[in-house]
Amino acid sequence: MALISTRNLTKRYGNAITALDGLTVDIEPGIVGLVGSNGAGKSTLLKILLGLVEPTSGDATVLDLDVRTRGTDIRQFVGYMPEHDCLPPDASATDIVSHLALISGLPRTAARERTAEVLRHVGLYEERYRAIGGYSTGMKQRVKLAQALVHDPRLLLLDEPTNGLDPAGRDEMLELVRRTGTEFGMAVIVASHLLGEIERVCTHLVAIEGGRLLRSAPLGDFIEQTGTLAVEVDEGSTALADRLTADGLSVVVDGRAVLVAISDGRPYDLVRDAVAELGLPLVRIEQRRHRLEDLFRDMPGEAPLPIEAPTAPSPQSGPP
Amino acid sequence: MTDAGTTAGSSVTAGPTGSIYDIGYRRYEGPRLGRGHAIQSLFWHSLRSTFGIGRGGRAKIAPVILVGLALLPAIAIVGALTMAAQFGVGSRFATNAPIRYDTYFSTISTIVVLFCAAQAPELFGRDQRHGVLALYFARALRRSDYALARVAGFVAALLIIELAPQVLLFFGRVLLSPDILGAIGDDLPSIGPVLAQAILSAALLGGLSMAVAAFTPRRAYATAGIIALFTIPNIVAGTVLGLGSSLIGTWLLLLSPTSVLDGTNSILFGTALGSDFFFIDLPNIAYIAAALAGIVGSIAITVRRFARIAT
Repeated sequence: MALISTRNLTKRYGNAITALDGLTVDIEPGIVGLVGSNGAGKSTLLKILLGLVEPTSGDATVLDLDVRTRGTDIRQFVGYMPEHDCLPPDASATDIVSHLALISGLPRTAARERTAEVLRHVGLYEERYRAIGGYSTGMKQRVKLAQALVHDPRLLLLDEPTNGLDPAGRDEMLELVRRTGTEFGMAVIVASHLLGEIERVCTHLVAIEGGRLLRSAPLGDFIEQTGTLAVEVDEGSTALADRLTADGLSVVVDGRAVLVAISDGRPYDLVRDAVAELGLPLVRIEQRRHRLEDLFRDMPGEAPLPIEAPTAPSPQSGPP
Repeated sequence: MTDAGTTAGSSVTAGPTGSIYDIGYRRYEGPRLGRGHAIQSLFWHSLRSTFGIGRGGRAKIAPVILVGLALLPAIAIVGALTMAAQFGVGSRFATNAPIRYDTYFSTISTIVVLFCAAQAPELFGRDQRHGVLALYFARALRRSDYALARVAGFVAALLIIELAPQVLLFFGRVLLSPDILGAIGDDLPSIGPVLAQAILSAALLGGLSMAVAAFTPRRAYATAGIIALFTIPNIVAGTVLGLGSSLIGTWLLLLSPTSVLDGTNSILFGTALGSDFFFIDLPNIAYIAAALAGIVGSIAITVRRFARIAT
């Protein structure tokens, strides 16, 4: 049996909103990325798996337990990190995490020990005795991760763990997620709308859109040979795009960056010449390995995901 | 523990706080006590939080003052009894003192109501305001467990507030009496009514306060709502009575929790309601039924609220 298994899982809120639409997927242990744009149904899926939201129709099992009837048993072995703020500002990290450890069923002594253990694991030391109200966003995200880990769950559900973090904070959080999954052998599901982040830590990807499964496959299967070259200029991105298009390249403008499809070595020279001839202030040229985006670009009528937005929510880049 | 200490110390010099150190992770192999343990833990947490224990100094101000006020009449009477005993009139004073087991509830009912208004929003409002519900509901706990454990913790806190002064009063009366065994014998029959009244009033006032607090994350709204619930029915019934429609007004008083509890108090202690109570015509069963209906109804409303609340 799979770690998680859903069959025709559907969730409607009222008659108007369909969050999940006949989702059928099996998820095996590992670090699994659950990707989809905002409103794709990621959070709803996680809440159904926790037994917090009743599906409208269809079935789902977690650790071979039915989410409709065995919710409390499932939650005993699952850790959940919500997307939004969920920490009382007047409590310290130690207070809230050890309290939640008790609620997770740990005896008092074990709760205290595990609290010290997980707070150390997420990198909170002397500040853990201070009130959470004074914490940075990064520290709060670590406390949220710690409370999800404190009862040593078999499965960890993380909803947008890098939400609101700066680039360095995102890197550290992703590294924590990766270590939690690989070194401790814990099954992790990371929901995110940022493909660029998720592919750095995941072994398997489940892509959903509009509540339906787009694709579920090991990360390697998603990666295609063609990549994207991002040319970032301070100004004149439109002029550059026009010029490159005239040169016969496939080009997308994404804010100050011009994304060029790489099929062979040809674009590098063309980009160099174009930037030089137009006299544009070039910031950087980098190869973006966001082949995953193609997955969404191929979907007719669907807007592609933002490739790597610094903060959510980000403006979506236009379709090609 | 020394490991953690030295690592924490070195982190100051090693770089910015919050850096990640690889010192391993141990699995937890111990017992998982499940739902019952979770409910119990939440109950104790609620009881402690109601008094501000385990929280900052500011959270303790209101409960400490109100508990002090609730104890004040008992302290005053015990003090007066001590004085009276010095002058050899202790037993006469003990019999005629205005504050006795049967009058204590009405003496401090306003303080208990204020305590409800101040502290009930601390429990439910805080969890809703900061989104903590999502963390509770993601654990081995049902939504109804959460609601019931919180309500039970708050009711237990009210029980302490109501019973502590009575216990003080009991010890004062007994120990200051020349005939201690006799005094115990005299006061023992009051234990039943004292307990019954405390349980009824704590459950009714606590249940209603928590039902109001469950509906808003905003502290001020909850406090105002609780005070309104405990005062407005009284005012309405009094107004109706003042207009001369005494039958309707009398029955309307059953909507006022504090009046209902005055009624149960007089039934339990077998005392006649004085002329300042204008609802003496109601049958005894009406007060008890109204109190029980209020308790069951308010708890049902609270459970229903948390069964539906979005997280």
